[in-house]
Formats: sequence, structure tokens, C-alpha cells
Amino acid sequence: MKGRAAGVVVLVCVAALTADYAVKIAWTAASDVRVAALQEKVRADAGLAAALAAEQKKIADFNQARRTRINWLSLVLIVAAAAFLVEQPKAPRRIPEKPQKAAGVRRGGKPVVTGAAAPEIDLAFVDEVVAREGRGTEAAIPILQAIQAHYRYLPDEALRRVCELTEITPAQIAGTSSFYSRFRRSPVGEHIVRVCHGTACHVAGARQITDELRRELKIAEGEDTDPSRTFTIEEVACLGCCSLAPVVMVDEHTAGNLTPATACDALGEHA
Amino acid sequence: MSGVEIRVGLSSCGVASGGEAVRDALVKAAGGRALVKAVGCNGMCHCEPIVQVLEAGRPVALYGKVTAESARAIVGRHTRWWERRRTDLPAVDSEPYLGKQKRIVLENCGEIDPGKIDEYLARGGYEALRKCAGMTPEAVVAVILESGLRGRGGAGFPTGRKWAAGRAQTAAVKYVICNGDEGDPGAFMDRLVLEADPHRVLEGLAIAAYAIGAATGILYIRAEYPLAVRNVREAIRQAEERGLFGSGLKLEVREGAGAFVCGEETALIHSLEGGRGMPRLRPPFPVERGLHGAPTLINNVETLACVPWIMRNGAAAFASLGTAGSKGTKVFALAGKIRRGGLIEVPMGITIREIVEEIGGGIQGGRKFKAVQMGGPSGGCIPEWLADTPVDYDEIPKTGAIMGSGGMVVLDERDCMVDMARFFLRFTQAESCGKCTFCRIGTKRMLEILERMCAGKGRRDDLATLEELVDFVSRGSLCGLGQTAPNPVATTLKYFRDEYEAHIHEKRCPAGRCTALVRYRVTDGCIGCTLCAQACPVGAIAYQPYKKHEIDDALCTRCDECRKVCQDDAVEVVSPC
Repeated sequence: MKGRAAGVVVLVCVAALTADYAVKIAWTAASDVRVAALQEKVRADAGLAAALAAEQKKIADFNQARRTRINWLSLVLIVAAAAFLVEQPKAPRRIPEKPQKAAGVRRGGKPVVTGAAAPEIDLAFVDEVVAREGRGTEAAIPILQAIQAHYRYLPDEALRRVCELTEITPAQIAGTSSFYSRFRRSPVGEHIVRVCHGTACHVAGARQITDELRRELKIAEGEDTDPSRTFTIEEVACLGCCSLAPVVMVDEHTAGNLTPATACDALGEHA
Repeated sequence: MSGVEIRVGLSSCGVASGGEAVRDALVKAAGGRALVKAVGCNGMCHCEPIVQVLEAGRPVALYGKVTAESARAIVGRHTRWWERRRTDLPAVDSEPYLGKQKRIVLENCGEIDPGKIDEYLARGGYEALRKCAGMTPEAVVAVILESGLRGRGGAGFPTGRKWAAGRAQTAAVKYVICNGDEGDPGAFMDRLVLEADPHRVLEGLAIAAYAIGAATGILYIRAEYPLAVRNVREAIRQAEERGLFGSGLKLEVREGAGAFVCGEETALIHSLEGGRGMPRLRPPFPVERGLHGAPTLINNVETLACVPWIMRNGAAAFASLGTAGSKGTKVFALAGKIRRGGLIEVPMGITIREIVEEIGGGIQGGRKFKAVQMGGPSGGCIPEWLADTPVDYDEIPKTGAIMGSGGMVVLDERDCMVDMARFFLRFTQAESCGKCTFCRIGTKRMLEILERMCAGKGRRDDLATLEELVDFVSRGSLCGLGQTAPNPVATTLKYFRDEYEAHIHEKRCPAGRCTALVRYRVTDGCIGCTLCAQACPVGAIAYQPYKKHEIDDALCTRCDECRKVCQDDAVEVVSPC
């Protein structure tokens, strides 16, 4: 409401200033003509000098009055404009949408709806985490880690809520969540299979293990989750179990000394 | 209680090899007759799960690759007199593996239960911290300086000098950070120390905090090490409960989020501040201006783990170990094509050959030792003919590799050096934070060249371009990641240039590893046993008993399984195909 009143004041001030300027132009033109005529007459008749002086004083007074008027109007305009800006309803902060995977986009660029819409997300957890980790920018990573641990990925709604509650900006969230490999912006399968690709696992054939798992789970090229959304495969840098290479970690359980033939056994009873 | 103590190693690797089932079997079999204790790993990862039995008046018995059945037998052997003579147990002789080692950092690993502070206290734990409390901080710094301890994270900067610089800062707020972001693929020293002996690291960190006058200590630990995080959190809780750090020090654990570059100190600080972990120009060094602008001392896990030992035994005892420029011991993660892999701690100055052949027991399957990869993606490959190089901060860099944090991956004749270079480039390329152009784009171009070579599409001028890029990337990058990223390429080009040339000119992979350049073939030595047909995951070998097998090239994925299972060495790799 205050915002609207301030807006009206701004408009009135601007209108007054504009009108004042127009009046000044017209008045100055008229007075110039009068002064020029008087000066002509004074040259012929020195007795009219007093009239000329009076005319010039009138012009000076007019200018003085106008300057005062304009000063006041400008002051009001500045205050009203400031009030107007402060009272503006804030534009909602937006998190940049994650670009759709190539597979989900038709040539025309329109996203294809795959499967059902994401289920409603309970954001109470986000409030809880923020209360625990604090609202400063340095809490960004612990908050994201907690969200990821809870929802198993970073849902956009949850990130938006974090921005509302804390000093963390959408830019920081986007930057941080895309920088670290542990953060995921898309949902995962029921189980996460982390295939170690450390040096020792590489020389022991981690590539073959990954290929075999992908083939067995029928994971398409460019995807990381199988069609039934049971397993998501991630290639990780090193799980630190180098003497058991090659190693695969299914959720929290680690299996070592695998071969392509035994790789799928590591999936255990989930497969 | 008969005084029998049974220890079972339950670090991540022990758990991965089935240690928990063994523990349960031991507990069930022992009943009340023996005490079963879960300890950290003693480093003998090649024979995990490991069980140690201690009896009063008898030597320690060590068993490896224990299963639930043999666990029952072990309990019987040590608790029933009539089973005393049984010999059907998986006993392991630890002498060849442990004999040459000198344990300072790992002295408690495999000996104590990491979840119980009393066990650490019983082995002289927190004595060093108490001793320091009676000294001036300057005196503590002087001891560390005198010991000659150098940063174990890889660069080898003298720890004492870093501490002295931290002490000299006059700011009211200071921080100490323990860098446990062990990102090098192929290294797991920090994981094991944090899992098996967390109090040692806390004690080292508390001493560092006292020495420079910090009130907050942060342990930055990789998220891939959930057990380490759990054990350290528990250790902090127990130590605080006992009031061991006094009132002046607060310790907290922060988990990494998966970025290799965060091992770099300035990147680590950015990560702790909640941003992208990108390094910045030094100076100012973190010890002058670090976390939230305050002086921040950052030390590696292993460096801090050395500190309590030095304070307890004196600087002279530590300095008496090692070489002129590198004092004390170094922990290595020995892995790859080695017979006895695991975690070892050796005095500085030992040669690489001694480590590989004596401690590690040589190469698996009697194949030829080709090279050792040291220092992970920042390091290089040291060829077999330079294996007499001593482990020393000044000697190793002369080969073009670096000491690094302690990853040591042994390669044999079946490992292709071009493929190794490509592997590390892929890693650094993916982990480059993108700040410096040379690192961001230079590594990408190098990787493209290596990918091309491995696919048999190398060009004649590729080697010249690679050499040029090696130089540009190392000179044009801000932090250690970029400066050292070309090392794996530079060292393999230097020592194994012939392999690169074979890839380019002959389209041949001499090690038979690059899948695009090889083909598998069954030789006349085949007896038709069908083992390979059974092992083939894609069914490229038809099941034809008593006939010479054939491999369908179109189906074959070059996974090497058939060659591994063949008893008669009748599967060979042909290159060029």
C-alpha cells in the first residue's frame, strides 16, 4: 500500500516539475521581449530606467522562487522514489533449471515428459537442517550433504527452500552443487553402485567391471540408471581399498577382488 | 577368562573382505573363554580378514584370509589344550612383510580398538599433549623443527617452519586444519590411520593448535571414507568427555564433497567457506591468511600422526631415522600387481626395489616388474632400471616422479604405459577446477591425443605436440594440480618412448592392453577344457569340449578373462590385430 502511495507522489512530482519547466520557458520568452523593448525605450528616455530596473528585479525574483520550488520538489521526488523501490515486492529468487539430458529432449528442443511427475517433497527436513547447520554461506556444503543424504539427490524445491531460509544465494548453490562430484541434481535408483576407478583398480580391470555391470543391468549409453530404476552406477576416483582391487561399493557394502564374471554377484540379493 | 585375546581387523578393507562374519563366528565360538576385540587394520591387506591371537607367555599368532569355519578352528586351537597341536589353520608369517618396516605412524594400527580411548591411553596416548602443556609453544615448535619432519602430503615442506610461521602471526583468531582429503587414486594411508588410530591424529592436531595458539581445529575428511568419519567423530566425543584438550580447543569434522583439487590448501579453505573449491594465488600463504582471513595451519594426517611420537621420544630419535634431507619414516600404500599389497611404513632411504621385492614379495604370477607409479596423478612412473632410487624427498624428484602422499602402484609387463598416462590425464582433466586456461584446456588436448593413440589413430606429430603441452601446462598453472598434471605423461614419454612410437607408427600395443589395438586368439596349446568358454561374460567362445576353442572377434570385449583362467597359457594377445 505504501509502495503505491509513494508511486503516486513520484508521478505528481514529475508532472509538477515538467509543468514548471514549460511555464518557465514561456515566461522567460515573454519577459525577454519586454526587457528588450524597455531597453530600447531607455536609450531614448532615461526616465524609464526605474521601470527597467523593476522589470529586471521581477525576473530575478521569479527565478529565485522557481529555484526554491524545484529544490523542494526534487527532494520529495527522491524520498518518494526511494520509498517506492524499498516497498516493491521482491522478485522471487530463481534457481537455474538443470539442462535436460539429451535423451529427454526432442530435436525441436521441447522436453519430453518421461514417467510420472516427481512426487511431492516434504520440505520440513530442509528447515531442520538449516536450523542445525546455521544460515551463513559457509554452511552451504554441510546443508547440501544433509539434503543429499536425506533425499538421495538435490531436489530443486529443497534448494529453493534453502535459498529462502539462508544467506546462501542461488548462484552459490548452483556453483557448489555442480563443482563437487558427490552432489547429484537428478534422482537415483534404489541402490547406488560405486565402481572404483583408482589406479590399482584400473590396472586390475575396473573398466571391464563397469562395462559388464552396465551390460548386465541394461543401462543405456549416456545413462547411469537401469530402466527399472533399481541401480545407479557411479564411477568414483578411489574407495581406498586398493589391495582388494577391483572394488565395487553397493550402498555401504564393499566387495573386492572381482572379475567380470563375478561382478554381478556384488549386487547381491538386490539384483 | 583364560587371558586369550583375539583381535580381528575391521577397517574398511577388512569389512570388505568379510571381516564382520569372521568376528561374529569368533565371538560365538569363543563364548566366555576368550576376549574378541575389533581393531584397525595392521596393513597386511593382502591376507585380509586378519586374526591375531595373543596369549600370555606365547608368541603372537597371526592368521590370514580367515573364514567363518577357520575362525572356529582358531578359537579351538587357542582355548582347548587337546586342539593345541592342530595345524590346519591359515597361519601367516608376518616377518617378510613386517620385518623391514619401522612403525611410528602405524604403531597402534591393528593393536588397539579405535573406538576405545582407554586402549590408546594405555599405549602412551595423550602423554605427548600433556608434556607439551608444560612447555612453551615456542619450545614445541623448536622440537618439531629439530626433528626434521617434512609435510607428508606430498610436497615435503618442513613442518617446523610452517608451525613457526603460524606461531609468529599475531592475529587473535587462528585455525588448525587436518587435511584428510586423500584424493590420490591408489593411496589409502590417511584412511587407515583415521580408521584404526584416530586419537593419534587428534593428539597431533591438539599439539599443533597449542603450538600456534589456535582455538579451533577442523578435520577435513573425504566423504568416501564413512568409517573414518565415524571413528574420528567418536574419538573427539570421548576425548572431550575426558577433558583432554582442556577448555581452549574445539575440534570438528567436516566432510569433503568429492573434489580432488580440495587437497590443495587454498582450495580446501574455499571449500570450508562453502564455495567452489578453487585454488588461489599464494602468497599470502594460508598460514598468514587462510580460513575466514585468519592464519590457518594445514597439515596432512600422516604429518600430524608423527607429532605425538616425536614429542614422546624426542626430536633426536626421529631425526636418527632416514637420510640427510628426509627424516623419519614414510607410509606407503602398496598396491597393483604385487604379491603382498597393503600399508607399509618404512624408514626413509630404503630403495624402491627393496619395497617391491622384499616387502611386497615381487610381482604376482611371476611376471616381470616393469615400473612403479608413485605420487598418483601428480607423480610419475619410475621404471624398473631406476628401482634402486632411495625413498627420499630429494632423490625421487630426480626421476621425474614425486614422493607424493604415498601411493605406490606396481606395474608389470602387461600394463601399457600409454594407457597409464591416459588414465591419469582423464583423472586430472575431470578434476581440473577450470580456473587456469592451460590446465583446463591443455589437459583436455593432451587427453585427446592419448585417447587417439590408444584407439590406433595416433598422428606422426603427436609426440612433439604432447611434449610442448607438457611444458605449457606445468608452467601455466596456478596450483599443484595443474603444475604436476603432465608428470605421468612426461615420465612415461621419457622412459617408455618406444611404447608411444609403437602405438603411433605400428598401431601396436606392446603390453597388449589397449583394446582397440589387440585381438585375442587361442593357440594350438588348447586342450579343449572349456574353462574360457565358461568364464567369457559375453559368450564369445563357443562351448566345444575337447576341441580347440575359437574366439568370436565381433563379440569379444577384450576383458582378458579367458587368458586369466586358461591353465595351459593357450590364449594369446595379438597386436597389431
